[in-house]
Amino acid sequence: MVEVRDLVKRFGSFRALDGLDLQVARGEVHGFLGPNGAGKSTTIRALLGLLRTDSGRATVFGLDPWRDAVEIHRRLAYVPGDVALWPNLTGGETIDLLTRMRGTRADPARRGVLLERFQLDPTKKGRAYSKGNRQKVALVAALATEVDLLILDEPTAGLDPLMEQVFNECVAEHTARGATVLLSSHILSEVEHLADRVTIIRGGRTVETGNLAEMRHLRRNRLRVETAGPAPDLSHLDGVGELVVNGTVLTCTVEAAGLDAVLRALSGAGVRSLTSTPPSLEELFLDAYRENPGPTP
Amino acid sequence: MTGPYVGTVALVGQALRRDRVLASVWALVLVGVSYASAAATSSLYPTAQDQVAAARAFNATPAVVALYGPILDVNSLGELAMTKMTVLYAVFVAALFVVLVRRHTRTEEETGRTELLAGTAVGRRAPLAAALLESGVVATAIGVLAALGNTLGGLPIAGSLAFGASWCGIGLVVAATSAVACQLSASARTCGAIAAGAVGFAFVLRAVGDTTVSWLSWLSPFGWSTQLRAYSDPRWWVLVLYGTAALLLGVCAAALEGRRDLGSGLISARGGPADAAAGLTGPVSIALRLHATTVLVWSLATATMGLVLGAIVPNVTDLLDSTSARDLITRLGGEGAIERSLLAAELSIVAVVITGFGIAAITHAAADESSGRTDLVLSTVSSRARSFVAALLIALGGTGWLLLVTGIAVSLGYGLVGGDLVAALADVVPAALAQVPAAWVVVALAAVAFGTRAAWTPFAWVLLTGFVTLGQVGELLELPAWTIGVSPYSHTPLMPAEGFDPVTELVLLALTAGLLGVAWWRYRSRDLG
Repeated sequence: MVEVRDLVKRFGSFRALDGLDLQVARGEVHGFLGPNGAGKSTTIRALLGLLRTDSGRATVFGLDPWRDAVEIHRRLAYVPGDVALWPNLTGGETIDLLTRMRGTRADPARRGVLLERFQLDPTKKGRAYSKGNRQKVALVAALATEVDLLILDEPTAGLDPLMEQVFNECVAEHTARGATVLLSSHILSEVEHLADRVTIIRGGRTVETGNLAEMRHLRRNRLRVETAGPAPDLSHLDGVGELVVNGTVLTCTVEAAGLDAVLRALSGAGVRSLTSTPPSLEELFLDAYRENPGPTP
Repeated sequence: MTGPYVGTVALVGQALRRDRVLASVWALVLVGVSYASAAATSSLYPTAQDQVAAARAFNATPAVVALYGPILDVNSLGELAMTKMTVLYAVFVAALFVVLVRRHTRTEEETGRTELLAGTAVGRRAPLAAALLESGVVATAIGVLAALGNTLGGLPIAGSLAFGASWCGIGLVVAATSAVACQLSASARTCGAIAAGAVGFAFVLRAVGDTTVSWLSWLSPFGWSTQLRAYSDPRWWVLVLYGTAALLLGVCAAALEGRRDLGSGLISARGGPADAAAGLTGPVSIALRLHATTVLVWSLATATMGLVLGAIVPNVTDLLDSTSARDLITRLGGEGAIERSLLAAELSIVAVVITGFGIAAITHAAADESSGRTDLVLSTVSSRARSFVAALLIALGGTGWLLLVTGIAVSLGYGLVGGDLVAALADVVPAALAQVPAAWVVVALAAVAFGTRAAWTPFAWVLLTGFVTLGQVGELLELPAWTIGVSPYSHTPLMPAEGFDPVTELVLLALTAGLLGVAWWRYRSRDLG
């Protein structure tokens, strides 16, 4: 659906995108992660044909975003990170306008249901909405139509946890119908719930990309073991790190390949409780940064 | 300062810092033009007789009186030198204070920056107080500089001080008026329109007063500037009028501010329809919808102004009943010719004002882009071309429409008072439409700025001011003809006093088309946002 190879975008001497790669496959929710200023919005704006890139290749639905912007836009919906509305148009008018401008007609029943679920008053003027409500207007406009690709730039930044839940459900329904979602964020938990695959970028460059399950596979589990007697010594085992023994409580990280040996060593020690936590995306994120420190800002 | 005024001084400092370029350039241009006028006039009219003759000729030309106000003492070199500065350039002084006060009050509130400040140790009343104090500082500086410039230009010190005080006074009154306007609506755009409308009303009131019922001029601060008689036995007490008006309006603004919440206006925000009308489908219909109110307000304003300007034309020659004035009228080509040249002068001024609508429409498109609304539109099937055309359609179409309205309104005023409506329509409507190509060239220049970079769009205002200044003082400063010819307005025939000139009009239209081509060529290939 989206294919980006070695994309470069310069603003003056600043390289906002510096050889970025991104692949989004049909039907997946793709998390697009990076800290502020990493180039997420720049990438998205390039994919929409709003920016002209300097080198590299980007295609959406196999089309060139700069040349075939309108063709591409027929099949996607975009929610910007900072939604600006027309001060004099009401939320309802804006939703209708945006759906019509996508060349589709919103199903009025679906629009009504979405307004209800997001608890949005469509009769208020654009200038009267808060940040979160402006975002809801753009979200309802995007979710009310059948599109092949949703591009969402930090879509829940202004939403409260309840609305975030509604948003997650709506995106899940959309993907169940076969839509693809590109979801940018710096909030990891938001992506963790939804994304099948993630791409992590920093300083305009792709640091890491992959299946969430695979990325976990490559990383360490965190073990916490409470034993009846003194904890066994694990320090000589391969793949064990950050070992801390505190009386009968032992914590450490273990590579996937070393788990079997660790469990065997523990089996005779009278284990009372054992928890194994897969690494959170937060940790993957930090790992990715540690290994590929970007240019210091 | 304590209580609600905590932080005012710091805010004044910040405002002065933010305005250091804008206010300095604006003030220096105005003071420079004033100095040049002061310095050039004595060489232009070397003898006392020349001066008196010139002043009489000015007073005998109603178009000039309507635009600049009368010269109350024909023996005063200062009054002659400051003809254009006293009232017309005071309007440009006024415009600065509309911009400054709105920028530091309503715009800050609309963008939420005032809220950011309100969360710090800054008092509730501080932003408005700071905006007015800052305006006071800027107005005083402009007044002092103008007095200094005119003195250096060779005019008497006392008169120059009075003249500087009149510019300062206008600045204070307009700043306070804008402060009131900025309490009325939650929209900075509406507040700006109200303030600008008030300035325009004061100007028209004075123009009507100076050409017909003279006491009307005393109701307008611009009238006070003439009645101050800065260069011939100044009536110093007139200065009290500015001070009192500014004080009363300032108190009024503060009282209004006390009755509303942060971010809201006195005219409360209404809701609207939950569904869009069927016609709202793309960039063109958005533009039409968003500009509908503005176009309506402008149409009403130009229609009113046109009716008034038209209605005063048949009466002006009645006022000139002295023998010398009669002689002058005969020399200028009889009453009909005077009326036609007054109409032509009125139309050329209105054309400049209406060009402002076109530039504002392009500026609006630039604001859409910088706020991100254009992103939202262009992420749909709307193409760049359509959104560009939408902006141009409003800017060019609106300019043409408003000139047509002006033509019809002036004809109505002129024809109904003068008695021959059909002839008036046949004379004035084509004359108003003849102004369209020149106005379009300037709007097209704004489009080129916008097409190149959204942030450059306001540069068009500088161009417009430059063209007007060239037309006003170019001949006075004996600038070479080609410099004056840079202004597209200088090429428009002075219809109905002169005949229609199809070649010039076609050249201006071709120039418009060429500039629009350049604008599109730049716009289609640049980054947005």
